Amino acid sequence: MLEVRNLSVAYGGLRALTDLSLSVAEGQFVTVLGPNGAGKSTLFKTICGIVAPVQGSVSFLGQDLLAISASARAHLGIAHVPEGRQVFKTLTVRENLEMGAYTKAGRAQWLHTLERIHTLFPILAERASQLAGTLSGGEQQMLAIGRGLASAPKLLMLDEPSMGLAPAVADTIFERISQIHREDRVTILLVEQRVAEALELSDHGYVLETGHMVLDGTHQTLLADDRVRRSYLGLTDA
Amino acid sequence: MDFEVLIENTLNALAAGITIGCIYGLMCIGLGLIFGIMRIVNFAQGELLMLGMYASLYLVTGAGVFAFLGPYVGPFVGALCAGPIVFVGGAVLHRFLIARVSGLRTAGSVDDGHFGQLLVTLGISLILQNGGLIVFGSTPETVRTPLASRAFTVDGFYGDATVFLNKARLIACAVAIIIAIALYLVLEYTRLGKSLRAAADNPTAATYMGIDVDRAYRIAFALGCGITAIAGGLMATYLSFGPFIGLDYVIIMYSGVVLGGMGSILGAFWGGLTVGFVQQCSALVLPPQLQNAAIFVVFLLIVMLRPQGLFGRSAERA
Ligand SMILES: Nc1ncnc2c1ncn2[C@@H]1O[C@H](COP(=O)(O)OP(=O)(O)OP(=O)(O)O)[C@@H](O)[C@H]1O
Ligand SMILES: [Mg+2]
Repeated sequence: MLEVRNLSVAYGGLRALTDLSLSVAEGQFVTVLGPNGAGKSTLFKTICGIVAPVQGSVSFLGQDLLAISASARAHLGIAHVPEGRQVFKTLTVRENLEMGAYTKAGRAQWLHTLERIHTLFPILAERASQLAGTLSGGEQQMLAIGRGLASAPKLLMLDEPSMGLAPAVADTIFERISQIHREDRVTILLVEQRVAEALELSDHGYVLETGHMVLDGTHQTLLADDRVRRSYLGLTDA
Repeated sequence: MDFEVLIENTLNALAAGITIGCIYGLMCIGLGLIFGIMRIVNFAQGELLMLGMYASLYLVTGAGVFAFLGPYVGPFVGALCAGPIVFVGGAVLHRFLIARVSGLRTAGSVDDGHFGQLLVTLGISLILQNGGLIVFGSTPETVRTPLASRAFTVDGFYGDATVFLNKARLIACAVAIIIAIALYLVLEYTRLGKSLRAAADNPTAATYMGIDVDRAYRIAFALGCGITAIAGGLMATYLSFGPFIGLDYVIIMYSGVVLGGMGSILGAFWGGLTVGFVQQCSALVLPPQLQNAAIFVVFLLIVMLRPQGLFGRSAERA
């Protein structure tokens, strides 16, 4: 479904990603792990067209993404729930969801997806006419995910959805993401720091370090890997 | 007897304040869209008003395009048609100049592109003023309509006191209110309007939603240009103007927008209305040179008491 090949990205001469390849098959749940500054968000931004690569290719459902504009990519069925939520603060909760449904697919299924979003996150129905900027962090994260879902996407990309959330709220968020994957059959590409929870949900994981893909495999392989156990799970031995 | 004159003058000032205020309100909505919502500093807004006046003038008299509509309807249709003309001009201006210093290009930069916008639009403003001088000449013009010298009279308030409602201004005021309401509805309730607000709020996230942010900015900028131009066309029916008239009004527009509250179209309208009202009413007690000073006294008072403006509401958590 999503194919990233030999991708290199630089910010004004400084390499952020080097010769990185990654693929996501339809229906999969794929997680990207890595320490701060590894280039995870950069990878997402490049897929969405906010950052241009110096080299490599990105394709989605056989279409070359680098040939089309950033805004056109959303219309192909890619939804991005960005790092730090990035909700439209001056718009109401409902208007945020409506903007999520800006794509043709999103509009066609609007009533259905709205109901689904409200089932997953009842708080969004309660707060429909509140300005998004006045929501709590957790509520904003739910709104950001709901807004991503509103486009009726084929691929949902989530960048650190648990960042800055209380453990209980983070658990809810993970549970909802898992539901979206299982019940709505949306392909998921997730970036997370909560490695244990993220790997448990995923079919496949990648580990990114200073712009290089250092490891990839199924969650059993990754959980068994010493480096992952030491650096991300804080386990010394089994 | 003296008291009756005082009542009459006061009532007339109030009436003039409200009618002129509504037209200022429309003028401010144009800038409210560009500066208040899209956050583009535009110092050429006064010149757009001026272009609206000349566009209307040439449509009505110059080429005689609207000669068949007669002197009653023609000037107002001319004002309305100045809108689309300046809209196209605004879109071109955005495409080649403004886009380089706003929108996605400057999203996340230290100054959000304001320094660039300031210089570019100040330059555009100077070019339009002096270009206007060359093209239109310096003779003061006006779009003549017999309605400008006719008035409805309303009396019976107090003794012999009579309120005169200038017909040209009254119609201009009605047109201004209708357009202001229409624009408000479009921005608040249509998909296009919401996408413009989303693009202004967070250009990057709007791109993730599939909104073409560059196009959204272009539409909003051009719309803001067109709206102010229509206000210019309406004002041209009752005052005389030259290529430098923009200077008098650009300050009024900024104070109206800030007064009403950044980011609110209704606020920009009320801000403009307040400014027009204060200006006209101050004529009762102050010499004409001090009318603009009165505006700023009220401006400072309101901004001191309500820094977010009359209609601004905070979208950040306290
Ligand atoms: N706009 C930018 N300009 C310059 N350098 C940047 C920019 N954005 C990111 N970088 C650099 O690129 C590298 C990768 O950043 P990125 O945001 O992709 O990391 P990340 O893996 O998402 O980290 P985190 O887990 O902290 O979110 C970092 O060294 C960062 O400083
Ligand atoms: Mg990141």
